[in-house]
Amino acid sequence: MTPEFILGCIILIAGVIAAGFPREKTYLSRLINLEIPAFGLLLIMLAYDETLALMTFIGVTAISTFVLVRVIERRDAG
Amino acid sequence: MDAATYSIGLVVVAIGLIVGFAAIIREKDDLHRILLTDLAEVLALVVIALVATDLAEALILPGLVVGISELMAVSEVYIAKEGLKAPEGPPFHIEVMDSAPGILALILVAYGIVLSGFTGGAVAAVGAVFYFMCRGHAEQFELIETVSGYAWAIWIAAFFVFMFLPAYWFFGVMMAGGAILIKVMAKMSLVGTMRRGGPNV
Repeated sequence: MTPEFILGCIILIAGVIAAGFPREKTYLSRLINLEIPAFGLLLIMLAYDETLALMTFIGVTAISTFVLVRVIERRDAG
Repeated sequence: MDAATYSIGLVVVAIGLIVGFAAIIREKDDLHRILLTDLAEVLALVVIALVATDLAEALILPGLVVGISELMAVSEVYIAKEGLKAPEGPPFHIEVMDSAPGILALILVAYGIVLSGFTGGAVAAVGAVFYFMCRGHAEQFELIETVSGYAWAIWIAAFFVFMFLPAYWFFGVMMAGGAILIKVMAKMSLVGTMRRGGPNV
């Protein structure tokens, strides 16, 4: 059991709680809190040396954030 | 990694799934539910990552592709269902959006080409999306479609090289890696054009 794995598990649980039940229930705060469990997942992937999966996850997360921001800005505008 | 680590990981994911799905059940707003779907996807990926072999890497890639396409489809359906319009007034603009895209897109695309394959395509696409988002776009969609169609054909040809000319496997690897890089990058960079149409945004 490596330190990355332990830290990843702790961050994952904290992030799931933060994203599931955010203190301020706005779309943007929930979107930002979603980055916390993603970071936990990245640390777990790092512990298992899954380089390709890690790099692809970073790339795809950036694009999915873009897609979500597009929906949120339309929702808040109208 | 030993069996104890795997068990602990599974317990952590189980707790996360319970909390996550409890949040989805208690949520009434549709857009909040879409955001929580993203959370469920992360938890599903952790389950796959815990397998901890090459199999995990092979399974995570299609998981990510399905995740992003599902997210895009659901968000489009949501926009259509609620009849949401693009925001009025001048688009969001800050100083760094003028200066950063060139160098940042260059670094990301160059690194993506070094990585090659699906991963490289995703990394390079992030650079292209960022560039299109900040600088606007005036590309020809037909050209992108044609390039990505040829890339797909080269990718298939690489598999025929593996099957019929196994001695040239390295040539096949290079063909497949380069073609899938172009294919993924061309398709994903179209996401960057979703925001606002036309040049000079």
